[in-house]
Amino acid sequence: MAEISFFRCIKKICGILIAIVALSASLMSQAYAADVVTTYKDEGGWRLKVNGEDFFVKGVVWGYSPRNQNYTYNLWGESDDFIRKVLDYDMGLMRAANVNAIRSFAMIPPEWITYIYQEHGIMTVVNPLMGRYGATIGGRWVPNTDYSDELTRAVLKAEVLELVEKYKNTPGVLMYALGNESNYGLSWSSFEIENLPEGERNTEKARYLYSLFNEVMKAGKGIDPNHPFSIVNGDIQYIDLIAEYCTDMDVLGTNAYRGKSFTSLWRDVDQKLDLPVLFFEFGSDAFNARTGQEDQKAQAEILKEQWQEMYNKSYGNGEEGNAIGGFVFEWRDEWWKYKQTENLDIQDRTASWSNQAYLFDWAPDQNNMNEEWFGIAALGTQNSDGVYTARPRMAYDVLSEIWKMDPYEYKKAAINQEIEDMNMDYLELKADVRMLKEESVEQRKILHFEGGSLRTEMLVKGTQAGVNEQGDFGDEFSNGEMVFLDFGFAPTDKIEGQFSLNVLGNVADTEPLELQYGRRGNPIRVRAVELEGGTVPVVKDITLRDRDRIEIYDFSAEYTGKIFDLEAFYHTPRYHWGYEGDFYGLIRETTDMAGQDIWNAKAPQGVQFDGKGIFEGLTLLVGPEVYWGANPKAVVRYSNTFKNIDWTFIHSEDLATSNDSATATAVTEVETRQTTLYTKTDLGFIKDGVELEIGGIIGSSDKIDDDYERLDQGSIFEDDIEFEDTLGIKTRLTFPVLGAQAYVASNYGGLVADGGAPLREFGTRLPYSEFGNKEEYEAGVMMNFGNWMVFPRGLYRDNLEKALPNRDPSAGGGQINPGLTPRNRDDDPFAILDNRKARAAELFVTYDPTGATPFYAWDNDTREDAGFAFNVGLNYTNYDTPTDSYEFFLEEFETNAAFGRGLPSEKVWEVSSRMVFNPTRDLRLVTNIIGANQQSTGEPDGGTREYYWADGKMVFRKKHILYAYAKYNAFGPYDFHRQFNITFPYQYKVDYSYLLDEKYDELNSTKIGIRGLLRGVDDDSPTNEFLVEGAENEYLWQVVAYFNWSF
Amino acid sequence: MRNRHSIKTHAALFRLPLMVLIALITVGCGGSNSGGTNITSIPLPTDTLLNLYCENAGVWPDSCVAQDPQNPYRNVVIREFDVNNPDAETKFALADAIPEGRTGAKARFYLWATALARRASGENQWYTARALHELFNYNEDPVIQAQALKAYRSVLDNFFGSATFFECCANLDPNGDPVPFSIPLNELTADDLYRTDATGWTRLIPGDPLLTISEMADWGYSYQPATPPSFDNGVVSVNDG
Repeated sequence: MAEISFFRCIKKICGILIAIVALSASLMSQAYAADVVTTYKDEGGWRLKVNGEDFFVKGVVWGYSPRNQNYTYNLWGESDDFIRKVLDYDMGLMRAANVNAIRSFAMIPPEWITYIYQEHGIMTVVNPLMGRYGATIGGRWVPNTDYSDELTRAVLKAEVLELVEKYKNTPGVLMYALGNESNYGLSWSSFEIENLPEGERNTEKARYLYSLFNEVMKAGKGIDPNHPFSIVNGDIQYIDLIAEYCTDMDVLGTNAYRGKSFTSLWRDVDQKLDLPVLFFEFGSDAFNARTGQEDQKAQAEILKEQWQEMYNKSYGNGEEGNAIGGFVFEWRDEWWKYKQTENLDIQDRTASWSNQAYLFDWAPDQNNMNEEWFGIAALGTQNSDGVYTARPRMAYDVLSEIWKMDPYEYKKAAINQEIEDMNMDYLELKADVRMLKEESVEQRKILHFEGGSLRTEMLVKGTQAGVNEQGDFGDEFSNGEMVFLDFGFAPTDKIEGQFSLNVLGNVADTEPLELQYGRRGNPIRVRAVELEGGTVPVVKDITLRDRDRIEIYDFSAEYTGKIFDLEAFYHTPRYHWGYEGDFYGLIRETTDMAGQDIWNAKAPQGVQFDGKGIFEGLTLLVGPEVYWGANPKAVVRYSNTFKNIDWTFIHSEDLATSNDSATATAVTEVETRQTTLYTKTDLGFIKDGVELEIGGIIGSSDKIDDDYERLDQGSIFEDDIEFEDTLGIKTRLTFPVLGAQAYVASNYGGLVADGGAPLREFGTRLPYSEFGNKEEYEAGVMMNFGNWMVFPRGLYRDNLEKALPNRDPSAGGGQINPGLTPRNRDDDPFAILDNRKARAAELFVTYDPTGATPFYAWDNDTREDAGFAFNVGLNYTNYDTPTDSYEFFLEEFETNAAFGRGLPSEKVWEVSSRMVFNPTRDLRLVTNIIGANQQSTGEPDGGTREYYWADGKMVFRKKHILYAYAKYNAFGPYDFHRQFNITFPYQYKVDYSYLLDEKYDELNSTKIGIRGLLRGVDDDSPTNEFLVEGAENEYLWQVVAYFNWSF
Repeated sequence: MRNRHSIKTHAALFRLPLMVLIALITVGCGGSNSGGTNITSIPLPTDTLLNLYCENAGVWPDSCVAQDPQNPYRNVVIREFDVNNPDAETKFALADAIPEGRTGAKARFYLWATALARRASGENQWYTARALHELFNYNEDPVIQAQALKAYRSVLDNFFGSATFFECCANLDPNGDPVPFSIPLNELTADDLYRTDATGWTRLIPGDPLLTISEMADWGYSYQPATPPSFDNGVVSVNDG
């Protein structure tokens, strides 16, 4: 019996175990099954149901955009641990406010949608943008998507269907929504459409858009029948077309910015579509453009009324009954939205568009919508996990109260009563108190300390000769310390700014291998008269050691007014005006602050006035050095559009000649002036994509009547500059050809029609020049083949007047032949330098599978997200003729000096390649390889140099940074090396640093590191490095350990 | 239909100026210059009438002589001695090519004044002063007399420690080549002002030579004249205070 009983017992236990396993499996499958989301309608109106339960969408548009980042930031490329920290922080706050759904522009990976759902109970809308901001079609990045193009339609459809397949079984998916206000982005042009009357063009384009949407929705429902499909329309524009084409749509999704009320939208949708309405964006900014202040109450009031109306318009309240919820735009402020690539660490206060529905700050002819202030939470500082915090605004508290209510449980009267009874004064006070507390954290006061950094380094260096002669005693040790202290100020609502102080301790003696910021504190020897014995004057050499220990490192201040903005700047980065009508590059970019720092240069310095309202388009710029190396000057610019032609007028007037070099040896330019006019016209009536740019210049008119010499068939002539010598004209015609984008350009410049820095795009090495005295022609074709781009370009230039040779004078018989010497830009009105005759050809081949992070963008080193992207470029230039004489700045006499001889004619070339690798999420590698045969930029002696180099930076887990280069027979690292034709047989550098905080910012993180340099020297190297105390030297070396603390 | 016609008209309106523009660009807007003055061979002045181009022409730091249209050396390459190219022809070759005496005096002034305008040196200033002195000797123009005094004084004021080099038969190296020797310019300046035996020119400060010493004292310098027969031991010193 016992045995039977035992088996029974076993059997029973096994049965229970099987039952448990089966139940668990069942529960498990339940837990991981996708949800079934449906829409439902009866006489009470529409409802959305998730797994059969009513679901009123109480959502926010969510994204994670840290300070100093823009739209290219990708949270999903971070470590799982960090993603979890961000999600737990944000979703925790949202859940506390009763948020139940999010919409995100970035595609959230399926596993994280499920995580958000299971951990925080928040569902997600999958929202493919379907080419709204450009798409890769046929391997080519197309910024303006053409929805009429068959290939485009096929590519976009396939992409979305692939997504639906991927997400269909993902728990937490609420629905699919296509596009984002795509009806506002119908900006492509095609021959057929442009032939239509203007008013019909966009309607025709919209037909293509909505028909594609429906194609995708119809096919998508075949793949995933368990989730609704919607679109994200801009308001209800084209509602008739939507009714006509989007017959397979389940929910009308719309972004609506109509102010406090959605007015007739409910009725219009009810009558024309008979679909439930879901707002994918709506809300208000929290900034009052009139007062120039944050206005949390206005935002909260608008959102309260909007939600009250939505609740009233929901199911069962006797009205249209088609509201099923919405996503407030947006969860948290994003600081990149105005200008998108600039001022990413500043919350911009500029209103960028106008909307009369927002009466609290609307004014005629003024913008009132502040893109960077739409969050129901402000963007705070980083917490201990490195997550940028969300600082809830009043709207957050108001919505928390509203979202507590279930509109399907409460009746209309109860809802209204509940909302009316909300104590807005209390919530305002609560928000004010919270803001005050958090502002104290951010220390936003009239003058406040913002932080800074401490930089320390310990150095040991030596030379081969020193070590040979003295052994270890030949080594030299030094150390350096400096502190940066950053301050901000906002004395009024309209003025804010910042400045930094630099305080020097010791200055490490890194020269000659490295020139560093802080050299101003190096000891200098001066000759002075001292009284010996108190009475006898004696001339002595003395050393000054404690100079310039404190200086203002940078400063900027902005005034934001109604009819103009004013910006004062001192050593803060500024961009060129090349994309703002400055066809001749008169205003150069000054962003290389580190390059300036080694010379203690303090550019740019000046004040800029930007007109608004009646002064719209007018800019005034004046300052002692508005870009690095500029003479003191004043610039006026006026831009406008007239009959589809953009035009820009610029006049630049030097006010004096700078008496100091921008570096140590860079020449100063004589005082001059320039006037330019530029127009840009879209010639779509000829063919789509045809664009013509024309610019004219009057340059250096102050040189009229200046004398110059020229050589003509062996005779020397003296001539003078005339008005026509100041004129120049420059054109560029861009047009499509056989599926590629081609351009032809010409540039004629009179003898003294000097412009500024030419704009260089797509990595070109073509020998452009700022100077006149040229007739120049250029052409290129940008061809795209899938992810490949092939870009051949060519340039031909000839001079109006040639360079002068060196020829001795001769005399006899009471006559003198004056001889000749190469011109220079100080003694002559013009000189042939880099504007010399040239025939150049180049070819760039680029592979970049991710067009959204352009390979030639200035910040591509950090932004590129392709697994592998690279380019190879080859440039060959034949300089048929010699140059006139280059110059250098002679610091001792504070004047330029000519080398006295020109560079000879030469054939030069350069081959280069840049590669970006992202093999895993934790590893990034960027390399540059260059081989070249190039001339000096000044000293003609020593000949042309053939050199090679490679450099690379590896970033591992965003914390380990390894940089290294190896150079052979290359010029040294500073401009004067090439200016004086100084090369070194080999140069090596290795720099490893480890970031100690979570900012992941190479420049601003706290870090510790070590770097080493080794430089060989030979006869082409500077004498003082090559010869050490009379003995020949073969190398110099240096090792520096450093620690930077950011606080 | 009306709109389509309008578009075509619009296109045609643009096409003409566009084609004109492209034609202009293709042909090219300019070309090499022609005209100007042929200066391959410049006659040197032979007269002694000198009109100063500005008040301080030939006196450092004024460089207006470089713009003087009467100056035949305005466009002439004037080379200084270059230690890296010691055998190259220098300004002295140009000076040697100027006729001696009255017919070359004015050209000499222009040569040295131009050299001074381009390169600040005591040597160029002293030769300029001497050229003015020589001119005064021929034309007795009081303006030139005053200018010569200013130029000599500039040597003392601005280039007191400078020297110039001479080669002479008296000094030969073992190979029999002349050995350059230097002489302080302050001494040469004082000697030119004080003693006229070497040049035979009219003294700039007429009358008793002591007046020259007195004038120099007014400038702030003391002069102990050289003694015959060698005349190489004169001493100029800066007065205290």
